[in-house]
Amino acid sequence: MSIERGKINSQQLLFLIAGFVQGSILLIDFTVGITEHQTWMVILAGLAISAPVILSYVALAKRFPGMNLVQINDMVYGRFLGKAVSMYYIFFFVMTLSFNIRDVGELYVTFLMQDTPFIFFLVVFAATCAYAVTKGIEVLGRVSHLFVVTGLFVIISTFILLIDQMDFSNFLPLFELPFIRIFQGIHIVSIIPFGETVAFLMIMGRLNKTEHAVKRTFFGLSIGALSLLVVAVRNTAVLGRTQTIWTSPSFQSIRLINIGTVLTRMDFLIGIAQTVLIFFKCSLFLYVLVVAVSQLFGLKSYLPLVLPLAGIEVIVAATVFQSPVDHAMITQNAGIIYSVPLVFIFPPLSLLIAKIRGLPKFERGKET
Amino acid sequence: MIPNKGSEASLIKKITSSIMIFILCFFMLFALTGCLGAREINDLEIVIGMGVDKDEDTGNILLTAQVVKKDTAGRTSGDASGGGDGKAFWNVSSTGDSIFDAVRQVTHKTGNRLFISHNQAVIFGNDIAQEGLQEYIDFFLRAHEMRPTALILVAEDRASDILDAKPETEKFPAMNIAKLVDTYGFTSHFYEVNMKDFASCLMSPTTAPLVPLVSIVQEKDCMDIYVSGMVAFKKGKMIGKLNHDEVRGLLWVLGKVKSGVLIVPSPDEQGKAVLEIVRVKSKVTPEIKDGSIVMHIKIKEESSLSEQTTAENLATDKAFEKIQEATAEVIRQEIMAAIDKSRELNADIFGFGEMLHKKYSSKWKTLKDNWDEIYPTIELDIDVETKIIKTDLLKKPVSQSEEEK
Amino acid sequence: MFRYIFKKIGYLSLINKHMLQNTKPGKNNNKPISPDLEKNLEVIKGILHSSDLAVHEFNFGHDRRFKGALIFIDNLADKKEIHKNILQPLMYDALLLPMDMDFTQIDTIWKSLISMTDNVKVTLLGDLLDSLLAGAAILLIDGSKEALAIKAGKRDARSIEEPGTEAVVRGPREGFIENVNVNIALLRRKIKDTDLCVEKYVIGEKSKTDVYIVYLRSVANPKLIEEIRTRLNRIKIEAILESGYIEQFIEDSPYSVFPTVSNSEKPDKVAAKILEGRAAILVDGTPFVLVVPMVFIESFQSVEDYYARPFFASAIRIIRFLSYIISTLGPAIYVALTVFHQELIPTQLLISIAEGRERVPFPAILEAFLMLFAFDLLREAGVRLPKPVGQTVGIVGALVLGEASVQAGLISPIMVIVVSATAIASFAVPAQTDSGTILRYIYLALAGIAGGFGVIMGLLATLMHLASLRSFGTPYLWPVSPLNLSGIKDVFIRMPLWTMSKRPKAISRNSSDSCNQDPGLMPAPFKKGSNDSK
Repeated sequence: MSIERGKINSQQLLFLIAGFVQGSILLIDFTVGITEHQTWMVILAGLAISAPVILSYVALAKRFPGMNLVQINDMVYGRFLGKAVSMYYIFFFVMTLSFNIRDVGELYVTFLMQDTPFIFFLVVFAATCAYAVTKGIEVLGRVSHLFVVTGLFVIISTFILLIDQMDFSNFLPLFELPFIRIFQGIHIVSIIPFGETVAFLMIMGRLNKTEHAVKRTFFGLSIGALSLLVVAVRNTAVLGRTQTIWTSPSFQSIRLINIGTVLTRMDFLIGIAQTVLIFFKCSLFLYVLVVAVSQLFGLKSYLPLVLPLAGIEVIVAATVFQSPVDHAMITQNAGIIYSVPLVFIFPPLSLLIAKIRGLPKFERGKET
Repeated sequence: MIPNKGSEASLIKKITSSIMIFILCFFMLFALTGCLGAREINDLEIVIGMGVDKDEDTGNILLTAQVVKKDTAGRTSGDASGGGDGKAFWNVSSTGDSIFDAVRQVTHKTGNRLFISHNQAVIFGNDIAQEGLQEYIDFFLRAHEMRPTALILVAEDRASDILDAKPETEKFPAMNIAKLVDTYGFTSHFYEVNMKDFASCLMSPTTAPLVPLVSIVQEKDCMDIYVSGMVAFKKGKMIGKLNHDEVRGLLWVLGKVKSGVLIVPSPDEQGKAVLEIVRVKSKVTPEIKDGSIVMHIKIKEESSLSEQTTAENLATDKAFEKIQEATAEVIRQEIMAAIDKSRELNADIFGFGEMLHKKYSSKWKTLKDNWDEIYPTIELDIDVETKIIKTDLLKKPVSQSEEEK
Repeated sequence: MFRYIFKKIGYLSLINKHMLQNTKPGKNNNKPISPDLEKNLEVIKGILHSSDLAVHEFNFGHDRRFKGALIFIDNLADKKEIHKNILQPLMYDALLLPMDMDFTQIDTIWKSLISMTDNVKVTLLGDLLDSLLAGAAILLIDGSKEALAIKAGKRDARSIEEPGTEAVVRGPREGFIENVNVNIALLRRKIKDTDLCVEKYVIGEKSKTDVYIVYLRSVANPKLIEEIRTRLNRIKIEAILESGYIEQFIEDSPYSVFPTVSNSEKPDKVAAKILEGRAAILVDGTPFVLVVPMVFIESFQSVEDYYARPFFASAIRIIRFLSYIISTLGPAIYVALTVFHQELIPTQLLISIAEGRERVPFPAILEAFLMLFAFDLLREAGVRLPKPVGQTVGIVGALVLGEASVQAGLISPIMVIVVSATAIASFAVPAQTDSGTILRYIYLALAGIAGGFGVIMGLLATLMHLASLRSFGTPYLWPVSPLNLSGIKDVFIRMPLWTMSKRPKAISRNSSDSCNQDPGLMPAPFKKGSNDSK
């Protein structure tokens, strides 16, 4: 018996993943500081590295149909070790979600509404996410394509509006930075937008048909990666050398839009896009977190946990970091280290163990 | 029946409580708007231009902010002259140790925080520019209300004088300056530089940024503002001035010439042919050959015959050929003037260093360190191609010479 | 979610049941009719203490040996009809029949004498009273345990007119009226098909209102019809006075500002929806017919979209979407921009707004609330008043409130423009005017509290709410969310009719042959070759 009854189809999975990856659009802003004008290739390399791992997530989900990550862990690693692994995942979800919620607050406090208290944004944003989560995965899946379309619209329209200010010689020389910085960039990119899709192991069990899951997952990832790529190319081409000094290169490049002095001051476009996309990502993450926790404690319904956990997230987001600088440093350094095993090691390992022990067959026999 | 009554009561309780919450929210609305950073539009001190000077007495920064006067701004000039001095703006100034300090000090005079999101231009005084902009530019890039599209300018003397000169047609001097800079395309005698462009050049180890220079000329009964050229910076400090032709020489190389007037002697040497530049393409290819650096500059120019002061019909193949040659020579001279100037100042205003960096990134590391020595030795290979593509409304001049009749 | 809603509805209906049981007098409604005429009359007169009860006793047949009585409510039954088609045959035509016919048998009278069609035989006193109150004339015969209820009802009905709420430029001008039988006939005239089912329900302990479900058996989803039946059967209420009563008892989300049951006064519109697989609920006594399920997009569609050619129809539809956005978000965006995000307003505009607001003493949010309130006040006053007076109110309101308050410096001129644009836009989408009005105030409040952030959060919450709504099993945002590519042809633009060969998948019965026209009906000009082959 599962705690979620809603079902999603594989087309919705595509948009869920695409929207989830697009939700990391702010990430580019702090990768740029490391990889400068080579960010675009870092994104592609990150996708190339994480794609096989993500496909192993799909394989795992296919092997354990109808089950979520916590259930899989329990089955693969046994009762106690499985719970420990799940706890580790829940810690990861808590931290990542708080990073993302904080991003929204910082976005608004820095750019749009400087005089408003930071905590206000966190509370209202988390409350809205909580409202979305109470509607269940089915509703999130149903609206996913709207978020992706909004994101694509803003990304493409800003690209077109800025095309006359682009200088593509900003990408030259192609290879200049020391390899260690590129490696660091690839590491960040492969974990933060792409590796975080490990959260989808909590969702993929709700697929009604797993036939096209691999293809759709990959397609969704590609849409997300393409969005990030377009943003990176736009920022580098427009801002050139200066992109490394701004807090948010995306924001500054949008502020440069000036078409015939009429189409100008378009900051709201990026404000809307980033809020909406991070909202989608945070709602998914909150959903995943809530379901994981309720599964861990064997609750019948996850609804009672939504508000308390959202509240905890707000507190974590507001207290763990002291400043945006602190936030960026923790995410860049600690964040990507502790999530390596969760993203790159556990899922393939689970798949391997499941294969050796022949687990899903045993379980299927038990269920039927 | 009792449980039903209970549920009815609970329902009513629920509804009333939700209504109470709604009413509470409604009143909170007015309480909250204050603390959440709402600023009514009529409380804003809308800044449309800023000038930065050095206070002669104390050596502090003297900031002049041009603020919109709301009660007269929208009215016709006739109305405005009825009350006050007829100006739609108010130049408020203050001194401070840093720019941000001065911005906050202004509140002593305005009673409100300055709202600088609509700042059109930042004008630096001559003394500040000579001292170096690097330390002053930070605020204008960092402040969240500043937009990277704000123009940056240098005043020939003091920035506050520029902001004081009331233009005849525009209401606001700052807007007027922004408009002046915006129309550079008709002459290409200078070009607009915004905060982002300037920052971009400052970040380059070699490129010398240029900034338009605004001057005042005293006419009969009013002061006119005009852009007299551009000033070059090196390591953030102003090092020299480029006149109109030198700037256009630079723009030819960069391919940024939008339009402009070229005057060449007519083939019969009796008068002048005046051409308007229609289209320009340029390509700069750096080459390192045997340790010496050569920049291959290739320019393709198209123009139209806009005026002639001689009786000879210039709209002929032969005349065209001669004019085209002469045009190319004029362009080459302009470019050479710019190059001579840049060598004189030893400032890489063309961005040749960046071009080399992009093409020869491995050799660049050694070149970068002694760029100042290398720059004057760069060889140039200029190739100009010109073409006249139209003669506008006339096929022949009005006053034709004898033999052509 | 569903369960929660049902539970809520359950509470309401329980409360009602409880009330009804208390008020109902303990009558022996199941008592049979006695063969004794006098006794029956006495009982009926005893129950109905009413002066409009007409009792006409008479003798008939050869030798006038049979005794009978005709009971009817004076103004409900048509006396002329009774005289011509009941009394006259009984008293005179009976004489032409053979002498030995036994007129104590109701069947005999019914079959050989009564020249009216809509007759029912009743045996119980309760049924007799129900028919009597519904307008029938009751024929009681001494010695018979049965009575005949003859529908001699006349009904004062309004003639069929163009509906006031849904005027069209092109399209039929007829509209539903209060008489449900006429309404069903209007529908039958549009859909002459054997599949058209009409199911009757009588709802209301006291009003005994006729409620009909009309649907196409081969097209409508049987689950939908079953759901409507159960929801209708659950309604235990004293009276149904308008279809709005039914709507509020059967809707999915009673706490939502968005309507999940649509209504219309136009037979062609309702017929079109029935043809798509929806079901219409007709209620006696009102011209407003309910149609379920409803999707959000329907509010932006008008029948005329399908009568006009697709280009104009699409353009108009886009205008409707825009006007809904303006009407809900207009004041909110204005307030958010001028109070929180002044850097997004072009410089010249900002200066002129600032100049216009220079003397305004209120914060922009209060100014917006005042103006919107004034507008809603004017609208409400204008609607309720007789037409000429209503117009005066509008003009006076617009002139005095708008012009004078700007002159007095109470309101800025731009705010007047914003609110007027909002007001005009709010009339473009009639089906969502209610929800739009409420949302407008909510968004305005959010914009006043938290500017653009508040508005975006409000929009996201609204989106989530809309996406979670269902109307009789159909997702409310269908076909936009969940995405349905063949359904989306009729959302933002209206594709040509010949491209829309499939019925809406989420609404109609899910069969593969759910086509409403042959595919490939795209009109093509006459071709030379095709003539030769024929």
